[in-house]
Amino acid sequence: MEKVNVDVVRTGGKHACYELKYRKGMTVLDALIEIREKQDSTLAFRHSCRMGICGSCGMTINGLPGLACHTQVSELKTDTVRLEPMHNMAVVRDLVVDILPFFDLHRSVKPYLMRKNIAERDSSDREYRMLQEEVGKFLQFDYCIICGLCYAACPTAALDPAYTGPQAITQAFRYMADPRDEGWKERIELLDTSHGVWRCHAAGACSFVCPKDVDPAKAIQMARVEVLKRRVLGKKGKEGSRLITVTAPAAPKEGTKPPPFDFPQGGRGGE
Amino acid sequence: MTEAKRYKAGLISSLNPLGFNVERWSYAIHRATGVILVGYLMAHIFETLQLSGGAGAWANTMNALHSLGPLEMVGLWIVAGSALYHGANGIRLILNEVFGKLMGKPILPVYPYSPTSLGRDQRIAVWTVTLVVLALWIWAGLYLLAGLGVV
Amino acid sequence: MVETVDHDVVIVGSGLAGLRAAVEILSKSQGSVKSLAVISKLALMRSHSVSAEGGTAAVLYPEEGDSLELHAWDTVKGSDFLADQDTVWRFVNLCPEEIRQMERWGTPWSRKEDGRIAQRPFGGHTFNRATYAQDKVGFFEMRALYDKLQEHDNWSRYDEAFVTSLVIENGVFRGCTAIQLKTGSLIFFRAKAGIIATGGAGQLWKFTATSVSTTGDGIGLAYRAGLPIEDMEFMQFHPTGLVPSGVLITEGARGEGGYLVNSKGERFMQRYAPSKMELAPRDVVSRSMMKEINEGRGFRDEESGLSYLHLDLRHLGKEKIDSKLPFIKELSMKFIGVDPAEEPIRIKPTAHYTMGGVRVDINGRVLDADARVVRGLWAAGETSCVSIHGANRLGANSTAECLVYGRIVGQDVVSYLSSPEGRAAGYGGPSAVGEEDRIFKDLFKNETSDADVYSVKARLREVMDSSVYVFRDEAGLTGAIREIRELRRTFQGVKVTDGGRAFNYNLQDVLEVGIMLELAEVVALGALNRKESRGGHARNDYPNRDDANWLKHTLAVRAPDGPSFSYAPVKITMWKPVERKY
Repeated sequence: MEKVNVDVVRTGGKHACYELKYRKGMTVLDALIEIREKQDSTLAFRHSCRMGICGSCGMTINGLPGLACHTQVSELKTDTVRLEPMHNMAVVRDLVVDILPFFDLHRSVKPYLMRKNIAERDSSDREYRMLQEEVGKFLQFDYCIICGLCYAACPTAALDPAYTGPQAITQAFRYMADPRDEGWKERIELLDTSHGVWRCHAAGACSFVCPKDVDPAKAIQMARVEVLKRRVLGKKGKEGSRLITVTAPAAPKEGTKPPPFDFPQGGRGGE
Repeated sequence: MTEAKRYKAGLISSLNPLGFNVERWSYAIHRATGVILVGYLMAHIFETLQLSGGAGAWANTMNALHSLGPLEMVGLWIVAGSALYHGANGIRLILNEVFGKLMGKPILPVYPYSPTSLGRDQRIAVWTVTLVVLALWIWAGLYLLAGLGVV
Repeated sequence: MVETVDHDVVIVGSGLAGLRAAVEILSKSQGSVKSLAVISKLALMRSHSVSAEGGTAAVLYPEEGDSLELHAWDTVKGSDFLADQDTVWRFVNLCPEEIRQMERWGTPWSRKEDGRIAQRPFGGHTFNRATYAQDKVGFFEMRALYDKLQEHDNWSRYDEAFVTSLVIENGVFRGCTAIQLKTGSLIFFRAKAGIIATGGAGQLWKFTATSVSTTGDGIGLAYRAGLPIEDMEFMQFHPTGLVPSGVLITEGARGEGGYLVNSKGERFMQRYAPSKMELAPRDVVSRSMMKEINEGRGFRDEESGLSYLHLDLRHLGKEKIDSKLPFIKELSMKFIGVDPAEEPIRIKPTAHYTMGGVRVDINGRVLDADARVVRGLWAAGETSCVSIHGANRLGANSTAECLVYGRIVGQDVVSYLSSPEGRAAGYGGPSAVGEEDRIFKDLFKNETSDADVYSVKARLREVMDSSVYVFRDEAGLTGAIREIRELRRTFQGVKVTDGGRAFNYNLQDVLEVGIMLELAEVVALGALNRKESRGGHARNDYPNRDDANWLKHTLAVRAPDGPSFSYAPVKITMWKPVERKY
């Protein structure tokens, strides 16, 4: 590939075309940065980490939601890169969309560890003992970088602006599945609403585009099963606190030791 | 978020599966067949309602239908296909959504990523549904063509 | 049109330190803090802290041979004895609590067989005390803190607001001004207390592991406000940065047993640090790597022109890489198409951590040029120089510092605001009209100039990469300073080419590059003045450490014709400096 054509849908729907020389290993973000620095400094797009962990650079690339830094131009298998803002979010300027409503949806499901004993959670000196397998029950869903691509891909989100969204439901389930969490009651209330978990129709587009393999489709169906168990079968969630380990500092074993304190002359405090 | 300002939100976007995974295609077809079935249900109720008008009204209705010619059988064929697809896919969706099956378990993601909810079990189900429905639909088509006297 | 907003506390920067301070203030304030603002130039959760990979150090298991003295000793020795030892002692005492607190707030630490929190080996630590969560520790800690923050109501978030100046009047912090990117207008935040937690300045270098946003804003703002910045010439170059982009491959890869290999196939660390090998502190490893490259035993990437060495993980096996190092597998496969289980990864030292920063005391309170506390202003995290890390930081100590100092600063803010003085402090300060003019009139006035901010930025970063890198010398540094001053003159004529109001990233770039140029001058001059090699500052012409003359912190204060330097003593309370061998 010699040249890359980048076709960006800018504010108001106008197309802007740019041509660049292709470099091996070039990502869509590399192309955008080069455009802004060398050709058109008015092109607005978000980016930060360049390594697919901050979630800033979400946009629609050749028709599918993707992270610009995570998409190699070569994997698009064409020399024309068509860029649009992420779907289902209001455009502010060029490729920058308004993501605050998306963050609000996340906040609305109370995505934090709930315990009955707040003092124990916030001020004790102990840890909750968990086996690695138990961490594995929710770890996959904690990989979420809150990039918004799943929400952009979701057909229900396209129709219903009040839908909680795959990201938020996955985070609610991440806490429901966490063995340390005791807030299952609140979360069931939050998910069992007319714009909650029932609106999902298992299209799986969210999992298809997720750059970190969080698999929100799986989390939503698992959340649904939990809600059904509570509402229909009347099962109760986990009650009672988890096993807590006291890790009191014991006497240090013989072994590696630092050299003895070697104070400068005059005792403590060298000036 | 107000509906009007969100970029490419709306009915067309939600039904457009181009480029996406096969489960999203099946979502679009499920929606479309659902609309067809609802339309057929209402038409069927209307048609059967004509019985209450007596033998004359019923005969008129039947004549009107038969005057469509082959279009009647084509229409029935489409409805048959819709019912087959919507029912079979519906069973797959019930397995997914009510019983949480075919989704896989939470795993530790390892690159290159392959979500378990779109994995082997799910794909087997999707293609089984598709092939079984296709086979029965073709058979239904042949049956209807026989009714037309063609086969 | 300047909008004025009043908040009790304003936190600039939303990384680990900023969020930890916010959580501390919101959970422990008991009514003395009515409103808190978290300001970030990115959206919250996009901060560079999420890229931290390796681990967070703490003494969790003293019954197995670890001890607080050992952690302190490792840190002090790793800092090449430039760390303030009383601060280090306070730091190591608070680390274990932070790990457990983060666990209780939801961080999914990796576990041992029996369910207790696991730790792994890390460079420079004599005990395996790096607590880890897969290989994305910064990300999971940020998620836990961000999620915890959602529980509280009396805080406001100002996403994508770029702070352009600190308002300090008569030694009292009054607030800050910021451009809200969404509207393009200036906001004047009036506050009783402020915390600077904007991170380091890695983007001064072209080959860097840091995000595009890591331009040293907080340090630059403090410098412009006349506050001293400390030890800026000490920059850590992390040994394993992916070639050609510079993104980080965690030290944990070496902690799990990876080898560093040169073009002859030998584990060259044998020559430089025979006992620690690949797990020597980062400055030792980076220098060793650059020596190997300079002596011709490296590889060369044709496309980018960068030299590199190999990080070999093949012997770890696919299963260990998949379970313990999944993120670097993703990075390596995604960006250079290399599967670590099959081929070695291409790496080179990359600009990573700024040991220097805003001068603060042991409580995180910012000190002015006369060593007096600026009332109402704190700094925490990489932005601050407390100094725990001295001339070189040990791996896994930065995430720990952010958490510990986020908490200390949060507590201090709460006690200040509950004190009579804090309660009496009102909202005041000069108006922000001057600032508004500076940005919207002055910067836009260069209508006919040719100077382009992006070529200035690119040239600056190239100069830093070539002359102010792992090894420095007099000629290179003098040349660099000349170039930087030339670039500063060119920059006076730079114009903002994007006339839009909303999301004017071009304007933000111009503001950032202005700060970067000033900081680069401080770094290069400080490096030129310091005629010794210590920690991350290594000079070919002064290859040894000189404790007699140079056991002191560098302080730089802004003066009309450039930075003016002075020096402050190092607090030695536990160990006198010895030779640093690994």
